[in-house]
Amino acid sequence: MMQVVLDALRAPEPAIMVLAPLIGAALTASMPGPRAAWLAATLSALVAAAAAILGANSLAKGETATGVAAFAAPLIACCAAAVVVASGALLKDFSDRAAPFALALILVMSGSWSAALHADRWIGVFLAVETASVACVGVVALSAAQDRGALNGALRLFGMSGAAAGLFLLGAGLIWWGTGAATLHGLSLAAIRAPTLTLLGVSFVLISVSLRAALAPMHGWAGAVFSRGGHAAVLAVAAINCVGALAVVLHLGAHILPAPALGAGASTLLGVLGAISVVVGSVQSIGAKNLRRLGAYAATAQAGCVLLGAALGSIAGYAAALVQLVAYAGAVVALQCAAAGAPGARANAMETMDGFGRRSPLAGAAVAAAALSFMGAPLTAGFLGRWQLMEAGIGGGAGWVAAAGVGASLAGVFYGGRLIERLYFRRASATARPAGISRVLLAPALIFGMAATAIGVAPEALLRAAAHAASGLGGPAP
Amino acid sequence: MSGASASMLAPFAAGVLILLVGAVSASTSPNALHRVAGVLAAICGSLLSLAALGMGQDVLLAGAAVALAQVIVGVALAVRLQEAYGGIEVDDIDAADAAAEPPERGE
Repeated sequence: MMQVVLDALRAPEPAIMVLAPLIGAALTASMPGPRAAWLAATLSALVAAAAAILGANSLAKGETATGVAAFAAPLIACCAAAVVVASGALLKDFSDRAAPFALALILVMSGSWSAALHADRWIGVFLAVETASVACVGVVALSAAQDRGALNGALRLFGMSGAAAGLFLLGAGLIWWGTGAATLHGLSLAAIRAPTLTLLGVSFVLISVSLRAALAPMHGWAGAVFSRGGHAAVLAVAAINCVGALAVVLHLGAHILPAPALGAGASTLLGVLGAISVVVGSVQSIGAKNLRRLGAYAATAQAGCVLLGAALGSIAGYAAALVQLVAYAGAVVALQCAAAGAPGARANAMETMDGFGRRSPLAGAAVAAAALSFMGAPLTAGFLGRWQLMEAGIGGGAGWVAAAGVGASLAGVFYGGRLIERLYFRRASATARPAGISRVLLAPALIFGMAATAIGVAPEALLRAAAHAASGLGGPAP
Repeated sequence: MSGASASMLAPFAAGVLILLVGAVSASTSPNALHRVAGVLAAICGSLLSLAALGMGQDVLLAGAAVALAQVIVGVALAVRLQEAYGGIEVDDIDAADAAAEPPERGE
């Protein structure tokens, strides 16, 4: 019986990772109350995550097709499962009537980013990305039950992602017109008749998707959304939307970089975006006085490291970018879940972390693991990603990439160290409530926090999977 | 744009111009409904450019569907902003949020 279930999950893993959340979204939206909706959403997210874990296992053994999609789609499904499970403790962010729709939109986000990774036609990628973006705006707007400021954050996200939609459409059209290829696979082999216009189209598409990943300097929406949105919405934006968008940037880059007339220009663009994100994100994180803004800007800096690996355009660089993507996802989920559970009148103020490590040791450990991973401390996934990035940078003759990685780690010591100092070396204020964090919130924080450290201790499987996925630079054989 | 006729170039350039104006408006306009209009203009501008390039109907229809979805979400957002803040001017909304947020304790 179990074998039948495993085979049924294994055969069409990509389809399950796309369809299970979308079908689950329809079921969730039709549920009568928040609790029933959460159960339906959790079930569908766990089905997608189960398929994802089987897919990841096959990838680590080298049994599946190569390519970024095979690596990143399971990561998105696992992040979505964590977000949906954690949302069970955060349903108060939404009104009772809005909660089923918000959970459904979270699932739509997950399914859409997975679909964007698996779509082969440009128009399919465009539709999937825009569906995810619209769902993201919807989730943030629906989280205004506790704080109307979420609507302000949603407006900023709406304006910028709407403008990016126009940019993506024009960019995809220019690529199509310039290469005559309607599919991503056709790009590396296409005879490009207008290289300049095609490169402009590539730049538009990459910038458009980078905006959804909160990469600097297009991250103007991130501060407002992260500091004013409801906890569940912020968690969904950080762990599904930003991770999904970063994965799609890597996926598109893997098809664009091998194209002879486009590779150099696209590589330069990714490198510039990555370097700006590292610098701007690090500086803003160091100056942040709001926990969730710190999380947003730290994620921007880490995302910059992901792009720097991709900018190298080599298999080693891409493998480093994929490892960095896992470290990013692990740290972001652990930090945002634990921060959402931190007690206090304003859970986004830095002082809510004062003494949190003593008041709630497990949640504090998850935040500490995230902070250490942001720093790139040894025996964490962040260290592994940074090490891979430096190896690939120096090996590829791009010392500045290695320098940027070191710079990101040094900046991480400031803002990550500040978090750890507050966790363990400060006393909670007299008005601080005891830290009674919900188990459904604590479980994903701990699992992802432990993963962020376990990967650093025993990295073989992840390194093998990343190397196998990156070996298909240019996409899996059609 | 080698081989492109002037009749193709003019609507393409007009579309790009509309896209840029719309993108700036969508990101920076002081009024929420103007931002929605900016998003609509940005997508319509890109559709005009794509039509000038001779893109197929499926691409144009997909773009139009996304524009419609964005406008629906944007108008719904503007209505909720009006209900919650009593206005849709971004400066007033920012001021209301800043006033509602207690001052941060020093580091």
